[in-house]
Amino acid sequence: MLEKIKQILIDNKKIDGYKIVENKVEANEIFFVKKNVDMDRSKDVHHFKVTIYKDIEEDGEKYKGSATTNIHPTMSNIEIEKSINDTLFAAQYAKNPYYPLVKRVPKYKTMEASEFSKESLPYWINEVTKAVYKNDNYEKGGINSCEIFLNKVYTHIVNSEGVDAESVYYDCMVEFITTWKEAGEEIELYKCLNFSELDSEGLSKEVENMIKICREKAIAKGTPILEKTSVLFTGEAVKDLFTFYYTKSNALAVYKNESTWKIGDKIQGEDVKGDLITMTIDPFMKNSTYSASFDEDGFPLEPVTILENGVLKRYIANNRHAHYLNIEPTGTIDNIVVCGGSRNIDDLKKEPQIETGAFSDFTVDCLTGDFCGEIRLAWYFDGMNTIPVTGGSISGNINELHNQMFLSKEIQKHNNFEGPEAVKLLNVTVAGIE
Amino acid sequence: MKVVNSEFLVKCKPLIGKLVSILSKNYEYVSVLGTDTKGKSFRVSKTGVEVNDSMLVERGFVVRIHNGVNYSEYSFNEISEDKLDSIIKNIKAKLNKVSKDISINSYEVIEEDEIKSTFLGEVKINPGEVGSDVVIKSLTEIKDAALAYSDLIVNVDVIYNTYHISKLFISNKKELEQSYVLGEGYIFSIARREEKTKYCYKSFSGIKGFEILDELKSEYKDVVDQSIRLLDAKAVEPGEYDVICDPDISGLIAHEAFGHGVEMDMFVKDRAKGVEFIGKQVASTLTTMHDGATAAKHMSSYLFDDEGTIGTDTVVIENGILKAGISDLLSAIKLGTTPTGNGKRQSFERKAYARMTNTFFEAGNNKFEDMLASIKHGYLLEGVSSGMEDPKNWGIQCIALLGREIKDGKLTGNLISPVVMTGFVPDLLNSISMVSEKVELSGAGYCGKGYKEFVKTSSGGPYIKAKVRLG
Repeated sequence: MLEKIKQILIDNKKIDGYKIVENKVEANEIFFVKKNVDMDRSKDVHHFKVTIYKDIEEDGEKYKGSATTNIHPTMSNIEIEKSINDTLFAAQYAKNPYYPLVKRVPKYKTMEASEFSKESLPYWINEVTKAVYKNDNYEKGGINSCEIFLNKVYTHIVNSEGVDAESVYYDCMVEFITTWKEAGEEIELYKCLNFSELDSEGLSKEVENMIKICREKAIAKGTPILEKTSVLFTGEAVKDLFTFYYTKSNALAVYKNESTWKIGDKIQGEDVKGDLITMTIDPFMKNSTYSASFDEDGFPLEPVTILENGVLKRYIANNRHAHYLNIEPTGTIDNIVVCGGSRNIDDLKKEPQIETGAFSDFTVDCLTGDFCGEIRLAWYFDGMNTIPVTGGSISGNINELHNQMFLSKEIQKHNNFEGPEAVKLLNVTVAGIE
Repeated sequence: MKVVNSEFLVKCKPLIGKLVSILSKNYEYVSVLGTDTKGKSFRVSKTGVEVNDSMLVERGFVVRIHNGVNYSEYSFNEISEDKLDSIIKNIKAKLNKVSKDISINSYEVIEEDEIKSTFLGEVKINPGEVGSDVVIKSLTEIKDAALAYSDLIVNVDVIYNTYHISKLFISNKKELEQSYVLGEGYIFSIARREEKTKYCYKSFSGIKGFEILDELKSEYKDVVDQSIRLLDAKAVEPGEYDVICDPDISGLIAHEAFGHGVEMDMFVKDRAKGVEFIGKQVASTLTTMHDGATAAKHMSSYLFDDEGTIGTDTVVIENGILKAGISDLLSAIKLGTTPTGNGKRQSFERKAYARMTNTFFEAGNNKFEDMLASIKHGYLLEGVSSGMEDPKNWGIQCIALLGREIKDGKLTGNLISPVVMTGFVPDLLNSISMVSEKVELSGAGYCGKGYKEFVKTSSGGPYIKAKVRLG
C-alpha cells in the first residue's frame, strides 16, 4: 500500500514534495469490573497519513504550501488519486513561509527492543493483569474497575527527500479506579499509568499506593479556608507544572507569539529565592512510550538541554519552526527531564502548608501561566499536625510564583517525565470549604 | 440538501452481511459497525495556514460477538472478499484468550427486534462542495479583520472543522444506515499588554455546513474586544457567590453534574451515587434536564448509536427529581433496563461506553434582566474552559473563561479570570433559584470519559441563577 501511494505521489508532477507516515497497530485490551473480565478486545489496523507540499513563488518570495490527509487501506486507486488531488489543491492555498524538508539520514540510532517484543500480546496482557491485582487484598477498599490496553505500533516514515525511518514500539496503558469505605460513604480516585516496559513490582506498588491514598480520602475533612498559603505539589501535578516550561520553550509557541521567551532569558526572573530550573529533553528515556530515535518528520533525535539554572539555552524546535527562527532543530522530543533541587522532601514539609495528593483535574494554562484544580485529596499541616483534607480548590499563576519555587532532591519517574518528586510554591490561593 | 451516504459503506454492505452470516454459525450474537467519516480542519492565523483531516476522520469496522459467556470485539480496517477468511481467523485466534485463572462476568445474549432503516441528514451548504481556496480566503478575511482591530492583539486563530459522518450497522436482525454533516468554528484571540497575556475564544457548532462561517464573521469583534478587556481582569476573592451562568456554563454544569453522573455503565461498576437517588430530589424544582440523540438537533443527533440502538430522549431530572439514567446496550442488559441509545465509541477502534448526546436544562420563566437585578454582589459567568466529573462522590469542577462582576443588580464592567467553580453537585443544583426563557446549545470540542474516549456531544440550557463557590 505504501508503495502504491508513493507511486501515485511521484507520478503527479504538480507535487513538489511529500511525506507518508505509516502506522500499523496490533492491540489487545481487557476491561475489568472489580476483579472480573467484563469485555476483551483486539485490533489490527493500518493507517497512512500523507502530507503534500507545494512550493510557491510570489513577488520574488518563496513559500511552501502543505496539507495533510488520511489514506485508508480500503481506498481504491481512484479514491486515493482524488484524495491526493484535493490535498494538493488545498496545499496551494495553505501558503506558509518556505522551509526545507528533512533530508535523508543514513542511519538512525537503534533503540533497545522492549521486553514486550519477546512474547505475544496476550501473554503480556495477562502478566500486566497479575501485577495490577497482586496487592488488591484489602478488606475496606481496592480496585473498582480497570482497563488495560497493550499496543504494538510499527511506524514507517518516508519523504520525497529520501527519509526512510522505521521503528516498532510498545505502549501499555493501565487506567484504574480505586475505592475505599470507612464509616461514611465509599469514595474513589482515578489513576492512569503508561509505560513501554513492564515493571511488575513497580506496577503492583503503584496500585497499592493508590488504594492507600483512597483510604486517606475516606477519612479526609473539608479543606480549611486558608486564602494564601504554601503548597507542596506531588505526583502528576508536578509534571503538569513543568509542561508550562516545555510549552513556553517551544519554537512553535515563540513563532506564534504565544511565548515571549528569548534565548538567554532568566525565565524565573532576576531575584530568584528558590531553586533554579534545569530541564533537558531526552528522546532515549527508559520506559517512556514517547522514546524514539526520530520524530514525525524523520529528523534524528539526541538529548538537548533547554533550561539551565533558570536560563533558556535552546528552543525545542521541529524542522519547520527551527528554519523560521533560524536556529538548529532539536526535533520533536516529548520526554522531559528536570533536575532535582536543593532540599529533600522532609525539609520542604517543615512549614505549615497544603500537600496535594489528587485533583479532579489539575489544569495548567501554558499561555497565561494560570493553574488550578479542585482538591480531591490533600494533606494540611498546620505546624503541629497533618490531616487529610478534601474539597475546595488551589489556584495561582506560575509567572507570579516561580521565583520562589523549591524542588525536592528526590526524583520521580512516570512515563515521559523524570523530575522532582515534589515542588513547593509559596503564596498560592487555596479556596477552602471549612 | 440531503446528505449523500458513503459509497464505500453501501458497497461493503453485502460483504459485511456475509461476514455476519459466517460468524453467526459459531457465535449466538454477531454485529458489525462500519464507519466512514470524512472531514477537513482549516486553521488560519497571523503565522500560518494549516489544512488537515479533521479529528473524527476514519474508515473501518468493529465486530462484536457473544463468546458464550460475555462479549468480545475485534476492530479492523482492511476488508475485501479475499480477506474475509483472515478476519474470521483473527476473531477466533485473538478474542476470548484471557487467562483461565481470571474470572469473567457473564452477559445474556442480546435480543433484537427486526429493523431496517436509513437516515440521511440535511445540510444548507455542503462543505464537501466548497473548495479549500474559498474556505481559506474566508477564514483569512476574518483573521485579517480581527488583527486590524487593535495593536494589543498578538495573534488570532480562526478555525473551521467539517465532519461528514456515515455509519452502517448490521446484525442478524438489524440493517441500519446513517449519514449526516456537522460543522464547527472557533475564533481564538490573544491579547498582550507588557508581560500580561490573556485570551478569549468563542465556538460555533451544529448540524451546519459552510454557512457556519457567517456566525464567525458576525462575532469576531466581540471575541477580540473581550480578550483585550481580560487584560484588566482580576483574580476572584475565594468564597461563595450568587452567580448567573450563561447557557454554555449551564450546559457545562448539566454535563458534568448529572450527565456523567447518570452514565449507566457507572451504575454497573458501582461508581455512580446517582443510582441511590433515582426517584429522589437532587435539584431545585425549577430544574428539568434532558439527554438524548432525539432530544435536540445538534452535535450528537443520530438515528442509531454505535451499538445499533435507536436514539431516544431521556428526561434525566424532572422538576428536581432524578428520573433516569442514560445507557449503552450492555449496561442495560446487566441492569435489566431499556437501552437509551447512548452507546458511543471514540472510533471504530475503541470500546462503546454509555455517553452523553445532547444534554441540557429546560427553559424557565425568568427574564435575564430580573435575574441580574436580583443579585446584590455576584458574577455573570461566561465561556467554558474545562470541567471534570465525579459521579461517585458528586464533586464538581467547572472552569469558566471569565466572570463579570454584578453589584446592586448591575454589571460593573469589572472582570474576573480565570474562574474555578467547585462544590457538591446537589448543593449547586438545589441552589438554582431562577431560570431564563431560552435554551441555547453548543457542542464544539470533545467530551472525554475520564481522560480518554473523546466523542462529540452538545450541552446547554438557559441562563440559570445559583449559589456557587468560586476560587
